[in-house]
Amino acid sequence: MSKLKKLNLKGHLLTAISYLIPVVCGAGFLIALGMAMGGTNQTDLVQGEFNIWDALATMGAAGLGLLPVVISTGISYSIAGKPGIAPGFIIGLTANAIGAGFIGGILGGYLAGYLALAILRYLKIPKWAKGLMPTLIIPFLTSIIGGLIMVYIIGIPIASLTSLLTNALNSLGSSSLLVFGGIIGVLSGVDFGGPINKTVFAFVLTMQAEGVNGPITALQLVNTATPIGFGLAYFVAKLFGKSIYTKVETETLKSAVPMGIINIVEGVIPIVMNDIVRCVVATAIGGAAGGAVSMVLGADATVPFGGVLMLPTMSQPWTGAVAILVNVVVTAVALAVIKKNVAAEEADVETDLEEDDIDLADIKIT
Amino acid sequence: MKIVGVAACTVGIAHTYIAQEKLENAGKKAGYEITVETQGTIGTENELTQEQIAEADIVIIAADVKIAGRERFEGKRIIEVPTDVAVKSPNKLIAKAAEVIVQPR
Repeated sequence: MSKLKKLNLKGHLLTAISYLIPVVCGAGFLIALGMAMGGTNQTDLVQGEFNIWDALATMGAAGLGLLPVVISTGISYSIAGKPGIAPGFIIGLTANAIGAGFIGGILGGYLAGYLALAILRYLKIPKWAKGLMPTLIIPFLTSIIGGLIMVYIIGIPIASLTSLLTNALNSLGSSSLLVFGGIIGVLSGVDFGGPINKTVFAFVLTMQAEGVNGPITALQLVNTATPIGFGLAYFVAKLFGKSIYTKVETETLKSAVPMGIINIVEGVIPIVMNDIVRCVVATAIGGAAGGAVSMVLGADATVPFGGVLMLPTMSQPWTGAVAILVNVVVTAVALAVIKKNVAAEEADVETDLEEDDIDLADIKIT
Repeated sequence: MKIVGVAACTVGIAHTYIAQEKLENAGKKAGYEITVETQGTIGTENELTQEQIAEADIVIIAADVKIAGRERFEGKRIIEVPTDVAVKSPNKLIAKAAEVIVQPR
């Protein structure tokens, strides 16, 4: 287990995702804008036979089509550094060609990275050939081994697994959608952008790369709604004659709510830290409601990030708006009900002395 | 004691900067000199200078992703954590750093 941890598989995936997100957002908005204005994605932009919206849609589709390549290159780079880039690129394109898609890209990235690393470490070459190592030996050997493994061994099973998964997701009935959305909502809410959230994010991003937009939309709408819900809770609690936030917390909200609107959930963390159990419970209840509504109504943003900016990219923007609204209200009411009244004098005390103990497993000292 | 650090998270727009702020505040509160570089999606900001790195007693890397320029810290004591450790427990992390410095390697 500790050996597995040392490999840091998740860290490499997260690194790749950090490169992927700007690509998805840029391309996602291009295709959303192009298609909204009546453009279509064309294989070739033939001079004189397309308008600007066709061009935008085509640009966006080209970008989104590269996702397996970006994830593969990113992972390979994270593992092997600069020598990982070329083979990651080639093997990612191979995954695309064989129809192994995003999952193929992920596996291809690990394949490329570790192969490059192994060659770098174990292949001894004479001094005069040192220059050949990064320019010829690593890119060629890694790509031919990894690429052939992709084509002849893992590619086909992954391709069928991927289509199985997407078909299953596309044919979910509304009660399964309700449950699925609720689960995504709870999982994405409970740790406020932490490791659970990011793991779920990687999973739903995979689905989006396969053209299933619902799950990631549910996740991000929950992330968007949670901080707004914290803000609304202030007013809802006042209705009950309660004041649930300290002065410092109210100040925090003034930046946390605007951050939430553009999809950054982390702003509320300082407030959550002061009252973890109640805040997490309220977030989870609201998230389950928001996620379920989002999936059942079929909110389907083509971009995986942006908060309310995701709404215009949906085929029916009102679905996303309703999901956010439901989530915000449920979270706010739940917070207002279960959070304790903060006494006036206590409201001024800064409570940042209580901290989680550091888990030694999380820490690496060299 | 002098500390340098690097913060980098997955999306690179939120945790990175919260971690930086928390670490710097916690470090200053404990009376140390601390500078934290951020490697967000926008690129590297508040970049550490060579002198700062040379003078530092310890390096704190709070990152969920591969950071750029790791070789700058060759031979230094390094503490590595995911960003949420720096976000949730900055003071304890700084205390841990102080502990690590006095320990023999």
